[in-house]
Amino acid sequence: MTQREHLRNFAFMGILLAVLLALPQNIGVYYRSFLMFTMMWAVLALSWNIISGYTGYTSFGHVVFYGVGSYASAILVTDFGWSWLATLGVSALVGLLLAMLVGYPVLRLKGPYFAIAMLGAAEGTRVIVNVWDGLTHGGLGINLPNKENSLETYYAMLALMMLTLGVSYWVAHSRFGIRLNAIREDEVAADALGINPLAYKMAALGLSAVFPAMAGAIQANKTLYVNPSSEFFLQITITMMLMAMFGGKGTVVGPILGAIVLYLVQEIVWVRFPFFHLIMFGIFLILVARFMPRGVVGLLIDKGWIRKGMVH
Amino acid sequence: MDRAEKRSIYRLAVFLVLVFAAPFVIGLLSGVVFFDRQWLADLTNVMINGLTQGGVYAMYGVGLTLIFGVMRIINVAHGEIVMLGAYLTWSVFNAPDFFGLGFHFDPLISLAVTLPVAFLIGMTIQKVLLNAVVGAPELTPLLITFGVGIAMINVVTWIFTTDFHTVPYYPDSLRITDTIYVGKNRLISFVTALAISLSVFAFLKFNRLGKAIRATAQNAQVAMVCGINVRRIYVITFGLAAALAAAGGALVSIQFGFNPETGVQYTVTAFAIILLGGRGNYVGAMIGAVMLALLENLVSFLVPNGAAVVEIAAYGMMIAVLLIRPHGLMGMKEVS
Repeated sequence: MTQREHLRNFAFMGILLAVLLALPQNIGVYYRSFLMFTMMWAVLALSWNIISGYTGYTSFGHVVFYGVGSYASAILVTDFGWSWLATLGVSALVGLLLAMLVGYPVLRLKGPYFAIAMLGAAEGTRVIVNVWDGLTHGGLGINLPNKENSLETYYAMLALMMLTLGVSYWVAHSRFGIRLNAIREDEVAADALGINPLAYKMAALGLSAVFPAMAGAIQANKTLYVNPSSEFFLQITITMMLMAMFGGKGTVVGPILGAIVLYLVQEIVWVRFPFFHLIMFGIFLILVARFMPRGVVGLLIDKGWIRKGMVH
Repeated sequence: MDRAEKRSIYRLAVFLVLVFAAPFVIGLLSGVVFFDRQWLADLTNVMINGLTQGGVYAMYGVGLTLIFGVMRIINVAHGEIVMLGAYLTWSVFNAPDFFGLGFHFDPLISLAVTLPVAFLIGMTIQKVLLNAVVGAPELTPLLITFGVGIAMINVVTWIFTTDFHTVPYYPDSLRITDTIYVGKNRLISFVTALAISLSVFAFLKFNRLGKAIRATAQNAQVAMVCGINVRRIYVITFGLAAALAAAGGALVSIQFGFNPETGVQYTVTAFAIILLGGRGNYVGAMIGAVMLALLENLVSFLVPNGAAVVEIAAYGMMIAVLLIRPHGLMGMKEVS
């Protein structure tokens, strides 16, 4: 990729940042939180994409990082009186630790076995959070101290999204990312070329765990209530998967596109039919997996409407 | 059998001994275990419960292992079909009452409705969605069945809400001695599960169609050359597996409460079972089912607060077995 293309992409990111920085002062609280949640989904889809898109290890349990992040923040704010901004670092650390703990055994598995082991890890963590009353207040959940912080959370989420975007962009263009792609295409060959697959996969899983943990923490401080079944909700994993896959996994633009389109549609149309919209999500997943495995972006590339360099 | 193979078997054996000893150790340390007469009787009850529950678990596992063996597809919607079977049983059970007739259908008789319906659903899923992707990169069928599962959960939630349902059926116990007893519904479901498992086993072993299914599992290409319509076998296999899962659901419904979201738990249980038994291994799945059910019952009896952590036993066992011996208790090493 040429210098000029990099410059163009950075210019796009700059425009995005400028628009999102200027917007919240001029719009109501509803639109502000709508934008914030759109950015949150973009963060989740982008981070899922790092392990599943670039590295090819489809995770069915990515919600676990989001959940532990939000719980870490909620516990620190409520029981230890931390300021919420300071908890983000701890959340990131907890997410990273969990990723290492889960990843070390589970990343040795391939394909579907990894996917289902992650599903098991997520469900198991939910059970632990549910049972460990002393730390997590059990199934009742935690009520965070009440305050209006839609502006602060908006800016925090914006910063997080730009960070995630930057890291995704870096992964897409660095040697690190190319090595991840090599692992995705042929792990044995990558190993033979001197890439240590386990180390690279651990690094990718760690990267893709940190951002959801922080997103969860910000979300907990926005909604001011967490409980095990809402923070470790299977639907969250599915939504982020679907967003990344719908947009086009393994690209930078795809997950963002997916997050914007699907969250918009979900908010505007489907929220009026609560179960129907989740049924549609299932059907959507089937259709995307069957007919559009490379997502909208991949489809556009195949049609020749855009070039590959434009989406990475 | 080469040395690595032998070593992995030894490792698995040591692991299993440790796993089954762990609840006792935890129980001893936390003072739950005391070896008097009453406690021993309770332990016997727990073992009996585990055994009977194992029969139901076998129903989940056998279907999944059948699908995997024949098509190399992992059906993530399997637990949802179990859940659907439970709801179908509940619906048939309550249908006469709903129309004001004032009686209920026996859940075992309702199997006559549930099984064909599930068979048809399974056949439809295979025919419409999965036949085109058998042999595709293994992630595509995985995602498709995941999507099917999500859609099913939410269709059921839409119709029945997320409330827990139960089918009351022989809730009293059969006393063997003063202190040892077994729930009649558990006994009935165990016998039913055993009967269904054995008849499916016999079908696979002796029936012409069953032999065709086994031939396809061994080598689809050669089966095709021998004049077996492989696509048709796939459709029938998935239907059969769905019917088995629904039978499992019917047996779940007369023992436990269920709601749409319990499906995921059944999927993970079924997956843990087939990993333990060896993918595609029919007998291994049954043994794995009984082992897992025994372990779960021991954990909930011996570990303080055990009923709540019982789910972790299945997940932990699943991940551990995947790591120690990926091809399971009785499975063969896969040729990739």
